[in-house]
Formats: sequence, C-alpha cells, structure tokens
Amino acid sequence: MNLLWAVSALLLSCWQASASTAPKIITEPNEVSNQTSAVLSCNLTETNLPIKGSHWMHNGKIIEDSKSSDTSPSTSLHLEKITHISGGKYECVFLTDPEAKQTIEVKTLPHVGAYKHSEHGNEKDKGVMVCVSHGYPLPTDWTWYKEEDGSQKPIINGTTDKYEIKSTPNNTTLTINDLSIENDIGDYVCSGTNELGTTNDKIHLRVRSRLAALWPFLGIVAEVIILVTIIFIYEKRRKPDEINDGSAPLKSNSNANHKDKNVRQRNSN
Amino acid sequence: MSPAPAAQLEYKPLDGGWGWMVVVGAHISIGFAYATPKVLSIFYKEIQDDLGASFSEIALISSVMLAAMYAGGPVSSVLVNRFGSRPIVILGGLMCGLSMVTASFGTSIVYLYLCIGVIGGCGLSLNLNASLIIISKYFLTKRPLANGLAMAGSPVFLCVLAPFNQYLLVNFGWRGSLLILGGLMLNCCVAGALMRPVTPPRKPSSYVQESKVEVHPNNSKTRLKGSCMKNAKKFLDLSFFKDRGFVIYLIGNIMFIFGAYAPIVFLSAYAVSHGVEEYSAAYLLSIMGFVDMFVRPGTGLLANSKWIRPRIQYFFSFAMVFNGMCHLLCPLITSYAFLVVYAVFFGVGFGMVFALIFECLMDLMGSERFPRAVGLVTIIECFPMLLGPPAAGLLVDIYGDYKYLFLMCGSVILTGGLFLFVMNIYNYHMLEKEKQNQERAAEVEKKRAPEAEMERTEPEAKEMNGVQNEMTDLGVWGLFPHSVSFPGQRPPGTLPDVAYTAAPSPPPPQSPPGL
Repeated sequence: MNLLWAVSALLLSCWQASASTAPKIITEPNEVSNQTSAVLSCNLTETNLPIKGSHWMHNGKIIEDSKSSDTSPSTSLHLEKITHISGGKYECVFLTDPEAKQTIEVKTLPHVGAYKHSEHGNEKDKGVMVCVSHGYPLPTDWTWYKEEDGSQKPIINGTTDKYEIKSTPNNTTLTINDLSIENDIGDYVCSGTNELGTTNDKIHLRVRSRLAALWPFLGIVAEVIILVTIIFIYEKRRKPDEINDGSAPLKSNSNANHKDKNVRQRNSN
Repeated sequence: MSPAPAAQLEYKPLDGGWGWMVVVGAHISIGFAYATPKVLSIFYKEIQDDLGASFSEIALISSVMLAAMYAGGPVSSVLVNRFGSRPIVILGGLMCGLSMVTASFGTSIVYLYLCIGVIGGCGLSLNLNASLIIISKYFLTKRPLANGLAMAGSPVFLCVLAPFNQYLLVNFGWRGSLLILGGLMLNCCVAGALMRPVTPPRKPSSYVQESKVEVHPNNSKTRLKGSCMKNAKKFLDLSFFKDRGFVIYLIGNIMFIFGAYAPIVFLSAYAVSHGVEEYSAAYLLSIMGFVDMFVRPGTGLLANSKWIRPRIQYFFSFAMVFNGMCHLLCPLITSYAFLVVYAVFFGVGFGMVFALIFECLMDLMGSERFPRAVGLVTIIECFPMLLGPPAAGLLVDIYGDYKYLFLMCGSVILTGGLFLFVMNIYNYHMLEKEKQNQERAAEVEKKRAPEAEMERTEPEAKEMNGVQNEMTDLGVWGLFPHSVSFPGQRPPGTLPDVAYTAAPSPPPPQSPPGL
C-alpha cells in the first residue's frame, strides 16, 4: 500500500514536472491551403519559462524581418500574397530554454514550368522535353499529353518503345525515340498534380530533317566554285596584257620598257 | 654592303594594285585561322550532351586545333617556299572544309579531335603562314598597312561568326552547323585564288638570276634524300638563332603570348565575381573585339607613316608596354563602367600588338628569310600559348582571387615590352657598328677591285633603295635604324647569299647612270 502510494506520487510529480516544462503552442490556422493571403499566428501557452524573443522560419531558413525580442507569448506572420514561392513549411520559434516551435504548412497549387518552351530534335534521333516544378507540396503525379486535333492525347509510359517518361517530385522528362517529321512535330503538355490540384505547361517540339543543312552547304560550295572560276578566268584574260604581274619594273629599266610599249602600241594602231 | 630588300627580291614589290585584292584574300584566310578555334566553343554544350563527353574533353578540341595550327608553321613555310602561296592556301581551304564536313558525321570525341583538331588545325596553319608570306612579297612601303588590314580579319570574323554560329546551332543542330561551317571555310580557296603568284620581271639576265635562285630549291631537293637530321634542319632552320634581332624578337614574343590570352579567357568570370551580371560580362568581350577590329588597320596606317616606320620595333615594344599596363591597372577596377573602359583599352592594346607582330618580323628578316622565320616563330609560340591560360587558372585556384592573374599577365607582358625596347636599342647600336665595319672593309676592297664594278653596284643599289633611303635619313644618334634598307643583317664575316650577288648586275643594253 505504501509502495503503491509512493509510486503514484512519483508519477504525479513527474507528470506535473513535464507539464510545467512542455509548452504548448496553439497555431491559428493549422494549415493554409488555396488562399491568396493569410495571417499565421502562434500562441505559447502552459509554460512559465521566460521568453527571450521569437522568430519565424520558412523552409528551414530564418526570416530576418520576423526576428523580435518581444517577450510576448504570441507572434504572428502576415503573408500578403501566397504564391508557389512563398508556400512551404513555416515554423514559429520561441526563444525559450529549450526552444519551442510549431509548424504551419502553407500549401499552394504546384507551379509547373517547362525547362525550354521550344525544343529541337533531329530526325531519327531522340527528343527530350523537361518540365520542372516549384512550390509546396511537390506534385505526386505527372502526366504528359500530346496535342492532336485540338484534344489532348495522354502518353502512357511503357506501352511502346517510342515514349519514355521519367518523373521525380521535382521534374519530369519525356523522351521520344526515333523522331519522325510527320508524326512527332507539335505541342506537348506536361501536367503535375498535387493534393490541391493540377497545373500544366506546353512545349513545342520541332524536328529538323537530316538533310536540312545540306542545301545551304551545296549552295555555298557552288558559290565558291563560281568565284574561283571567275578569278582564274579574269587572270587568264589579263595575262597577255600585263607581263609584269605582281611587280613593277625596276627604275633602271623603266625607260627601256616604256619605249618598248610605245613601239608596240604604234604598231598595233 | 648589306642587301636591300629590293635587291633581295630582284624586283620592286607592287605595293598596290592587285596587292589589295591579295590583302582581301589574306584577310579572309587569317580571319578564319584565328576565329575558328574560338567560335567552335559555341557548339560545345550540344556536342557534350550528344556525345556524352566531359567538359575538359570537349575544350581540348580547341586546344588541339590551336596547337596543330601553330605547330604546322615550319611545314607550311617549306611548302610555300616550294610551291608558292596560292596552291597552299587552296589546299588549306580544302583541308579545313573537309575537316568540318567529316566532323559533322562524328560519333566519338576522338574522331572530333582528329577531324577538327588535327586536320582542321593543319589546314589553318597552311592558310595562316601562306597569307603572311604573300603579303611580304606584295608589299614593302605600304606593308604595315597591308599587315594591319589583313590581321584585322581575326576580330572581324570573330564578331561575325559568333552570332552566326549561334543562329546555325539553333536552326540546324551542331552537325548541320559544322557542315555549313565547312562550306564557309571552303571560301579560303577563293582567298587562295586571289593570291596571284608574284612573277619577277622577265629580263635576259633574269634567267641567270633565276637559275641561281633555283640553286636553293635544288639543293633542298638533294637534302631531302639525305638523313633525318638534315630533314629536320630543313624544316627548322636553327641558324636563325644566331641572328640577334630574331632571338630578341622571339623572347619578347614568347613573353607576350604567355600573358596575352589568359585575361581574355577570364575577363567575364572576373566581372561576374565583382557583381556584374553574366550577360553584361559577356558583352565586355564583344566590346574588346569590336574595338580591336578598328585598331588593327589604324595601327597599320600609323606604322606606315614616315615617323614611325623606321622606328617600328620601338612602336611594337610601346604597344606591349601599353598592354601590360592595362592589365596591371585592372585589379583596381571594380565597377562595370570602368570595366568597359578597361575592355576598350585592352582592345586597343591587343589590336596594336597583333597588327605589328608579323610586320616587325618581316621588318627584321626581310622578305627572303621571313617564310622560314615565321614557321620557326609559330612553332615556338605554341608552348606559351598553351601554357598561359592554364597557368593563370592555377593562380586563380591557389589564391582564389582574379587580381593575381591580371598582375601576373600584366607584369610578364610589361617585362617583355621593356626587354624588347632595351634590347632593340642595343641591337641597332651593334648593327650600326657592324655596318660601319663593313663599309670600311668595302672601301678597302674598292681600292683593290676594278672601279667600274663598284660604281655600277653602288648607284644601282642606291636607286633600288630609293624609297627606303628617305626613311633612313632619320638615322640620328645611331639609335634609329636603317632597318628598312638592311633587314636581316648578318654578323660580319659571313658570306652574302648567292641570289644577292647576282641581283645588282645590270642587263646589257642599259647604261647605268654614273658611268
């Protein structure tokens, strides 16, 4: 009987002790989803510990502006515009010993963007299209569609060798093998889905023909041949007129040469 | 009496007329030679993705190309001496075109090294040397201007090819772009077609001269059948190292080339490290190239003027000192506006040096010895050119600060410029002494030899030197050289060239004045 009483007293004192050192933070709201703006507030209750200050953290990084040495047990953070950049995990931290913190999740629609909106591929080669996502929470599902005649045709992974889809929460890659100019040119849509909804983006794929560069090349070769021919013909035509090509007659010879030239001209006339 | 360049050439260079078309051809040729290794880097990202190679493996393509281009110098010089510039430039153009076309079908990085690097580099080396040699044959009085205009090809082609390559890459991919670029490089064949060979004027005695000139190639033919050592000697004429002027020029050049390219490579990285955004940082190099485009012909024009031409070696050392000072002042610059000013001055300095770099060698060596000299110079320049940027990069890695790079490059170039300046004063002083010794020896001979012979040679040579003599009137204090009339001075005691002794003999019908 005495032993039982002692044990229960011990337990009670332990519970009271922990109750007095375990602060409870009441958050308002618990979670933000699909709102354009919000005010996050935390209230520290059930503790006698001295509060030296408080601050907020976003995705593990301290928000400098939110640092305060106010000893009040409640603190709030005003989010004016909630976008995929400002979404994430917010933590209010009270500077007590030990620190007390609580997390509020701010959830938004995923932001899906194409790495490049216009992609090129060579015929018979492979074409790679990438979409990335930012925001919280990251998409859990990725799907690709090909736009055909105004409607979107889903591309299913694994059914054919032609399409390969590799997805991680951060990004998704669609690889098209053996590109053909007739079938594969067009718009492709990637869409990412998380618990709040779906967003998508469009990529335009261009397929270059193997022989596309051949025509300019042949044109340039033709131009070179024509120019070289013209230069050589010009030179052959001028050769009989000018013996001393590329050099002027020596000063000491000049009189003799002029005389010769005059003689020739007079004769021809 | 030392040979005048006209006497060495047996004719007076055209200095105009078709010569300007040759300058256009050289401009195209040199433009492709210097610009292509640099603009190929635009394709590297796509090639890297396609062939799965690492960045350093890809960057090696440019290095192999540059190395082949410089190392092929001696071979190119020998071929040009034998066959003339025109066939060599046409061959070079065909090689370059072929290299790019075959590279466009490449599937491995080693294949690209061989095609673009080795074959392309060799083609470019043929182009480069042949173009420089033909300018030395076509021009004498207007040679600095011709050199400046021809060397301007490098920045012009760089500025044109860089955006053009970007456009090609987007529209045709790297394979199609290489194919089209190969086609463009075939235009070097057009440039080669423009390089009409220089025919000496036909005089009866010219057969005597030509047969004597032929002695050299015939000799070289028999030497080819000789041993390997003799072969190597034919390609790398080491007798140049006995020439004081040549050695001075070479040392100054090595120092310049060592420090010249690293600032270009690291300029945009330096700007970015000081908070300039990437796009604006890349713009700095374009500014430099744009300024370079105008400075080169301008420097050529300036060097051609009668005040600077006799002192061209000093002008060259001034340009190097200017370049070095620019780099030394760069670490003091942190704002973008001043970086733009630095880029402008860098462009000016760089352009000045490169416009004069081959002109000074032509001035020192004369048209006859220039081909072999330039081959030797380019192959030796290969080493500082390949070692410079990595050494600078190593400095950056060790100290973590770009300023040491600029300090090192600036000080090396500055030292080179000052070295050239001082050693040139010494060299010309020694040349004056030697000339005076030779004149005294000639006078002694004059009293012994038949009078008529000497009277015939001296006035003739003086007439041939006509233009040059105007410029040599400035030979005050023995500092300002008679370099234009007496390039390639040999130390006293060596025999004159065979070709030289044949040259001054006049044709029979004509009576030289003074007799």
